[in-house]
Amino acid sequence: MPRLRGTGRLLRARAGRRLRRWGHAWRSSLQVRVITTTLALGLAALGTIGLYVGERMRDGLYTGRVEQLLTESARSTAQAQTTFDSSNAQTAVDVQRLLQEVAAAQASGGTGEREVFLLRAPGEQSSLSVGVAGSKLALADLVSDELQRATAAGGQHWQSVAWEVDGHVQPAVVVGQDVTVPQAGAYGLYFLYSLQAEQDRLDFLLRTLAAAAGALVVLLGGMTWLVTRQTVRPVRRAAEVAERLADGHLAERMPVRGEDEMATLASSFNEMAASLQDQIRRMEELSAVQRRFVSDVSHELRTPLTTIRMAGEVIHASRDDFDPAVKRSAELLQTQLDRFEDLLADLLEISRFDAGAAVLDADSRDVRDVVLAAVEHTFPLAGRRGSWLHVDLSDSECVADIDPRRVERVLRNLLVNAVEHADGSTVEVVVGADRAAVAVTVRDHGVGMTADEAQHVFDRFWRADPARARTTGGTGLGLAISLEDAHLHGGWLEAWGRPGRGASFRLTLPRRAGIRLTDSPLPLVPQDADPPDPVTRVVDRPRTDPAALPDLGDEPSTDPRERQEVR
Amino acid sequence: MKGRVLVVDDDTALAEMIGIVLRSEGFDPVFCEDGDEALGVFRQTQPDLVLLDLMLPGKDGNEVCRLIRAESGVPIVMLTAKSDTVDVVLGLESGADDYISKPFKPKELVARVRARLRRSDEPAPEHLTIGDVTIDVPGHRVERAGRPISLTPLEFDLLVALARKPWQVFTREVLLEKVWGYRHAADTRLVNVHVQRLRSKIENDPEQPEIVVTVRGVGYKAGVTST
Repeated sequence: MPRLRGTGRLLRARAGRRLRRWGHAWRSSLQVRVITTTLALGLAALGTIGLYVGERMRDGLYTGRVEQLLTESARSTAQAQTTFDSSNAQTAVDVQRLLQEVAAAQASGGTGEREVFLLRAPGEQSSLSVGVAGSKLALADLVSDELQRATAAGGQHWQSVAWEVDGHVQPAVVVGQDVTVPQAGAYGLYFLYSLQAEQDRLDFLLRTLAAAAGALVVLLGGMTWLVTRQTVRPVRRAAEVAERLADGHLAERMPVRGEDEMATLASSFNEMAASLQDQIRRMEELSAVQRRFVSDVSHELRTPLTTIRMAGEVIHASRDDFDPAVKRSAELLQTQLDRFEDLLADLLEISRFDAGAAVLDADSRDVRDVVLAAVEHTFPLAGRRGSWLHVDLSDSECVADIDPRRVERVLRNLLVNAVEHADGSTVEVVVGADRAAVAVTVRDHGVGMTADEAQHVFDRFWRADPARARTTGGTGLGLAISLEDAHLHGGWLEAWGRPGRGASFRLTLPRRAGIRLTDSPLPLVPQDADPPDPVTRVVDRPRTDPAALPDLGDEPSTDPRERQEVR
Repeated sequence: MKGRVLVVDDDTALAEMIGIVLRSEGFDPVFCEDGDEALGVFRQTQPDLVLLDLMLPGKDGNEVCRLIRAESGVPIVMLTAKSDTVDVVLGLESGADDYISKPFKPKELVARVRARLRRSDEPAPEHLTIGDVTIDVPGHRVERAGRPISLTPLEFDLLVALARKPWQVFTREVLLEKVWGYRHAADTRLVNVHVQRLRSKIENDPEQPEIVVTVRGVGYKAGVTST
């Protein structure tokens, strides 16, 4: 029994699956829907028509035949009555013989095969009892008492019966009429007619009709399929082409055949695609020209800059021989050349990002080492600015596939930026990690910035306060480059700030290429920021394809971090 | 006189400036502005080192580099404005020993030039072997199976550095410091390219190196000496 129940479950499950698949096909395919609807409607219409036609045919055949039989049996009854009337039979034996003769004569006298019974009318009081006569008396049972009584009352009566022949039931009618038999009194003369021939004809007609209906349904289905295919196929093709276009295959076009609506759709679609392609190409050309220009300018500047640089160095080396004004000029020349060179290098780096020529030289490295290297680099500046660097490293390993050069550059940028804006307050660096990502936050307690400003800090050459002295150097491209570096890793670089409460920058890097970041192991908004500001996520789309590598899953991190101070 | 340096550069201002710096350091600079004339000037002046700009009128830097290398092992240092492109690798493959990317400081230039001109001044007779390759260090001769092999000074230095410590695996960074004289991490493509060049000269089958062996993920070491 349990086994049966199991099978039942299995069947139910299978049926459920089939149903779901069907439901999916119904939802996803216009063709399936149209064909199904057409077939359902067609079947319903055919069923109704079939029922009506069948009923009418049955009625026509049956009623006609019964009317004919009634006429025939009335005639036969009249004949039999005449025979009885002209008879001079006196004895029971004679009467019996008479009945037999009449029955036999009538049995073969009709237009078709029929059985004849002469049954004594119920309630007949005549003393002469001769019993019954008939061609096949065994079938006399088919004549119901009801019919016998009705017949005894006079007139012609008939009734449908089921006649069982060789175990096969065929439709039949019994027609009865009263006759008067000499000496014996009132009798009923009954004829039993088989309607099998009519039934056969009806069956044949119905079969033909059903076959025709079946063929019609198949034809209808096929036609619908063909018609929908003609409409759906171009639509499908258009969808495919649109998808290919969206994937960047801008040369993709729809085939245009004929002059119908579909051809119009295809040609309009192609026009759209062509204009799109043209626009994109023009924009690409324009931006390529621009990128090329920036790159060329940067490169072309390098040769004269080298000469100036060397000349400056030579002058600078012998500055002690000059009078104070010239000496100071030589020094200014030197420092500004340094700045110019930095700017040029950053410009070149940005143009490399814009050209898509930046390549990630990824290596499996512990981010904590990189953080320490960047911190070490910032020590001298922090010392000059009177800021403490408070470093809080995660206790667990923070190994990730990173480009150490780029990550260190990002961290240096963030640290230098923080120290410069800290106004002597402590700069906090926190490193955290979970299964999917490694994060570093750099927080200062300096002048801070508004949420609006935090949105712009990564803009090229953007300055929070244009009037703010530019003595601190920096090219204005540092954070923009950092953002590009984070992007290149498929990571995030975000900023938070409040005026007077300092700023916080968070770098989040996926542990491996292909991991799509969903959240960061560290909060961006510091806990001491009350009320907490809504975070403006600056980056939320990693450029690396997350499908390229398997997901690590997003199990919650169990990472008890212990505070540790490095100075 | 510390050495004659041929400066091949079409930017006359830069060439002159380089000349001033080199002269102040005691070198003897000679100049050439055109790629087509570079080889002639080279033959005429027989410099101890060539500073070569990659972008030249006439023959380009790579072509000039190949021509000079075909007849001399003289150190060649490229000057390039595009250090991040394939140009550098092409230049190195044409036979340049080192490159300086613009803009550079005079000290950097002088340091690069000095590093390439610094000749091993160990007078002690020293003979090294790796496999069937024998190296006569003071005589600057290398033979494989009795057949002399011509190496540029840089390739020679690279081979000697590996051969002196056959038990040690050298990272690219260490080789950059020992052979090229870089204090800080520099472009490791220098090492890759020159190891390939060295192998093409001393290995029987450069695809299956036996003398200069790659240690995956670390660097290079000398092959096993079968003695």
